[in-house]
Amino acid sequence: MKGKLRDILLINAVAVLLGLFVSGLMILLLKKNPLEAFGLLFTSMVRDRYTIGDIFVKATPLMFTALAFAFTYKANLFNIGAQGQFYIGALVAVSVSLRFPQKWALLLVLVLVVLSSGLWGAAIGYAKAKFKANEFLISMMSTYVALALMNYLLRTRLLETKGEYPQTDPLLESIWLPKLLAGTRLHVGFILAVVACLGIWVLLYKTALGFRIRAVGYNGEAAATSGINTGRIHIAAFFISGSLAGLAGFTEVNGVQHMLLQGFNPDIGSIGIGIAILANANPIGIIFASILFGALRVGGQIMGQRSQIPSSIIDLMQGFVMVFVIMGYFVRNELDRKRKIRKLLLEEGGVQ
Amino acid sequence: MINLLARALMMSTPLLYGSLSEVIAERTGMMVTAIEGIFLIGAWAGFVGAYQSGSLAIGILCAMGAGLMTAALYGWITIYLKQHQIVTGTAINILIAGVCSFLQRVIFGVPLVPLTVVQLKQIPIPLLHSIPFIGPILFKQNILFYLLFLLVPATYVVLYKTALGLAIRSAGENPEAVDVAGINVKRVRFLAVLFSGLMGGVAGAFYSIGYLGMFTTSIINGRGWIAFAICFLGNWNPIGALVGTIIFGLTEALAIFMQSSGGTFLPNELFIALPYILTIILTISRRSFNVPAKLGTPYEKEQ
Amino acid sequence: MDTPFFELRGIDKYFSRVIANKDVSFAINQGEVLALLGENGAGKSTCMKILYGLYRADNGHIYKNGKEIHISSPRDAMKHRISMIQQHFSLVYAHTVTENIILGAKHGSINWKQEHEQIRQLATSYGFHIDPTKKIRDLSVGEQQKVEILKALYLDAHLLIMDEPTAVLTPQETDSLMAFVRTFVGKGNSVIFITHKLAEVMQVADRIIIMRNGMVHGDVLRSTTNAKDLSNMMIGHELSVPNVDSVAEVQDEILRLEHVTLQAGKEVPSLEDLSFSVHAGEIFGIAGVSGNGQQELCDVLCGRSSVSQGNIFLDSADITHASIKHRIDLGLGYVPSDRQRFGMVMDMSLSENLMLRQSFDGHWTRYGFIRKKELDERMQELIDSFSVKAPGPEVVARSLSGGNQQKVIVAREVSGKSQVVIFDQPTRGLDLGAINHVHQTILAQRKEGKAILLISTELSEIFALSDRIAVLYKGKIQGVYPRGTLSTERIGLLMAGYREDATHER
Repeated sequence: MKGKLRDILLINAVAVLLGLFVSGLMILLLKKNPLEAFGLLFTSMVRDRYTIGDIFVKATPLMFTALAFAFTYKANLFNIGAQGQFYIGALVAVSVSLRFPQKWALLLVLVLVVLSSGLWGAAIGYAKAKFKANEFLISMMSTYVALALMNYLLRTRLLETKGEYPQTDPLLESIWLPKLLAGTRLHVGFILAVVACLGIWVLLYKTALGFRIRAVGYNGEAAATSGINTGRIHIAAFFISGSLAGLAGFTEVNGVQHMLLQGFNPDIGSIGIGIAILANANPIGIIFASILFGALRVGGQIMGQRSQIPSSIIDLMQGFVMVFVIMGYFVRNELDRKRKIRKLLLEEGGVQ
Repeated sequence: MINLLARALMMSTPLLYGSLSEVIAERTGMMVTAIEGIFLIGAWAGFVGAYQSGSLAIGILCAMGAGLMTAALYGWITIYLKQHQIVTGTAINILIAGVCSFLQRVIFGVPLVPLTVVQLKQIPIPLLHSIPFIGPILFKQNILFYLLFLLVPATYVVLYKTALGLAIRSAGENPEAVDVAGINVKRVRFLAVLFSGLMGGVAGAFYSIGYLGMFTTSIINGRGWIAFAICFLGNWNPIGALVGTIIFGLTEALAIFMQSSGGTFLPNELFIALPYILTIILTISRRSFNVPAKLGTPYEKEQ
Repeated sequence: MDTPFFELRGIDKYFSRVIANKDVSFAINQGEVLALLGENGAGKSTCMKILYGLYRADNGHIYKNGKEIHISSPRDAMKHRISMIQQHFSLVYAHTVTENIILGAKHGSINWKQEHEQIRQLATSYGFHIDPTKKIRDLSVGEQQKVEILKALYLDAHLLIMDEPTAVLTPQETDSLMAFVRTFVGKGNSVIFITHKLAEVMQVADRIIIMRNGMVHGDVLRSTTNAKDLSNMMIGHELSVPNVDSVAEVQDEILRLEHVTLQAGKEVPSLEDLSFSVHAGEIFGIAGVSGNGQQELCDVLCGRSSVSQGNIFLDSADITHASIKHRIDLGLGYVPSDRQRFGMVMDMSLSENLMLRQSFDGHWTRYGFIRKKELDERMQELIDSFSVKAPGPEVVARSLSGGNQQKVIVAREVSGKSQVVIFDQPTRGLDLGAINHVHQTILAQRKEGKAILLISTELSEIFALSDRIAVLYKGKIQGVYPRGTLSTERIGLLMAGYREDATHER
């Protein structure tokens, strides 16, 4: 088992480096020096407290959306709608926070976010359970519906008092998530995310419910034959998944932006999927992979500020890393297969 | 009314290119989840090709080439490296979004005024376009639309009346049987994926050089996924894809019409969301599906 | 000596967990029926798949008429006129007979009318009555096998390899298959039969190759050998035949079915008016060719399907509409025929599989958390008492051999608080050692007073173990017979649908 873990880490590290390398090559196309750009990136990332803090700030919502995808993935379900559930969570967070900006209400916001985005997700699970509908398509489409809903509300009900831009009024400081570290943007949401990762890990591997979810994920028919109600598991998995994604909305609204505007974190859903892939859907791995991707984002921003490299470099880096990681899976499987054959021949060679 | 229907059919064009090729690919067992990325790179490459060369035809060729390369990458990873189709597609979609945006910057820098090309013109077919009612709807469209008159029946014939079509249909149901019959399953699947790269590229190009006249990073906005959904809803059948596409085209045209005719009491966003809501409703209500039995599973052959 | 038609020399094949073939060498002559005999897992299918191009040998050579040939795909094999019919048919169920037969054999456009006609003629020329326009899923298993044979004939095969062809046939269908084989071979063609059934081998083979553990252990002419010798070569040692006590006294009824019918809408019922009961300390065997309602019967008993009519009682409680979970709680044990699909989760550990049917049970959980230590200890106990070859309770189920996986499932089902255990094809695909172990376990459970329902297509197994035997044909019980009152011929007729007039106990 230890050998396998070492393989995973090694191959993923190589994949990440390859991804960054190819991105560097792309930078050359801009007639800029990639070594310079990356060098600047690393030095500023570690020198400045604010920047380091920002890595974890960026990692926070990614942990939630990655967990959201990974959780349903364990049940062999595909929740591609984390982005939409994120929007719903953000909407509920901002509406309730505007209405009850008192400190005690923070807990209320949390609960309502979990319920609302959980239900939004559970609806998908219900469609799958009751109608055997394809959850991949429905969750995909639900994101666009959520987006339309959010844009509508931003334009009308939640519109700022100034009425100038499609965004909400800023939240009062009392309803902000408390800061963890002065001089940074780092807020309590990060702790919440880490706790969520650990909690999900415990849920999946140490509880009976988690056991049933994994059993359904591995072999739904065997699970059903063994008395497990797969429909209920689907609904439960989507509820939990949805509320996780919704919590990303909560942490972004109450922890970072302190308001809601259009074009808000438009890709954390899909990046979350990428992180879940990188971490092989393991909640502990997700913590680290999210921090890595958080670093990539911060890095991309710095490159933009200091080296005038466009922000799309972030997507490039993320995309290349993901593709190389996927190819890495193949390499790992092949190594594993060859190792098993070699071991077998050694054993039998002695006996015969 | 006539305008609306004509518009509907026009908006259906890219969806039909996408869904027809998705039908072929899914019949072999491959879900081309990179379709959104293929549409996007088709839109981008089509624009760049047309802008740089001044010729829309070159633009479309570029779009097809870009779509082909993207599909080849997707096909290689999912078929030959046997990786998960949804995971790979998602990664490629993210990558392509970055690539298009980045290369747009590399080539054009930051233009002060958005760059445009002159869109595909409508080509009225002599005589036919004067027929009352259907004339202006069916025969006053652009060249990509007219090509569909060939493409749809061709797809149908190939799928159901040729040996290749039999191999395609069998590969998605029982790849072992196809293998045993001496056909290279992986090759059939790879070719089908490449085909959807070509078609998806054309579909994407439609949005940039056929309709909008320019390229923006959000130009596709989920339309690739709608083509993907139409394949499901059309029951993996070219005729079903045709019907599904027309319905969606109507919805989209209706949305544009409602938006431009000045706000009604229903919000704009509702019409934007309409195609997606429709997909959800149809996905739930469709009871019997002829899903290719081995859709989504890589072909493992002990060697 | 004539040059053999085809010859294998020095074939080696390794998979990631096992050496499937080691130095396999033998030949087949023209006009000969060769039987490849051995237990499950002996390597018979593997070397034939190499001959057919589905696998590539790691070492070794293949010769045709003395000259070396290279076969790297089924296409190459077909060029050399080799065809193989596998245990699991290579058919597309959603397609028609014609579509399946001409797959890969035609190019360009297809005129369906012409093709259907051609296939129709081919079929009748061999005495097969198949409608080429029918979809495979609407054909019986025997007919599906005929389609597979037609595929080979269509491609003008001279060497036909058949992998366990009679596993899915009635005794009478088997006879007609053998007749076909004789006709085919009479024309100068050759047939290789892969089988583990001694009786068949003695009936139809000219020569026999015996394989064991991936190696060839015997190459004999049928005329020079007998069943006992073959059995010895196959296993390598004598096996103890299970010792069954004399007829048990009738005890309490544990499981009862009354007029159970399963019917979807207006279709033909898959189960029709089934009524029987199983008593404590009894083994009730259900014989029949697969596809006559066995799976449906299991579904209805375990709770996966709801009956359309009738009632099921477990120890006088009406479980007709009870959930699967409830039935498990009441003491219904079930060892499904497809263990990988329904019996266990291959990628979970043995301990987790032990808990599979009891995850709601307070037994293994405390406040929702899994009591891992207790679970592992219990699993280790079972590993020891059932002689499962596994390093420990933590290993993944997939890493065990088929026989050991089955032992785990059997151990789980019999050691819980089950009152009745349903065994569906419990020894399919197992080697003789494992088969013996399962049989001993079933008999031990009988002694302990459990009610056992044994469903099997292996007549020898049914005859050896059952106190009473029922025959299932097209969803109906053809009759219930106490041990010793049935002969192979009689049961064969019953399995094929012939009803007897004499009244029998119900």
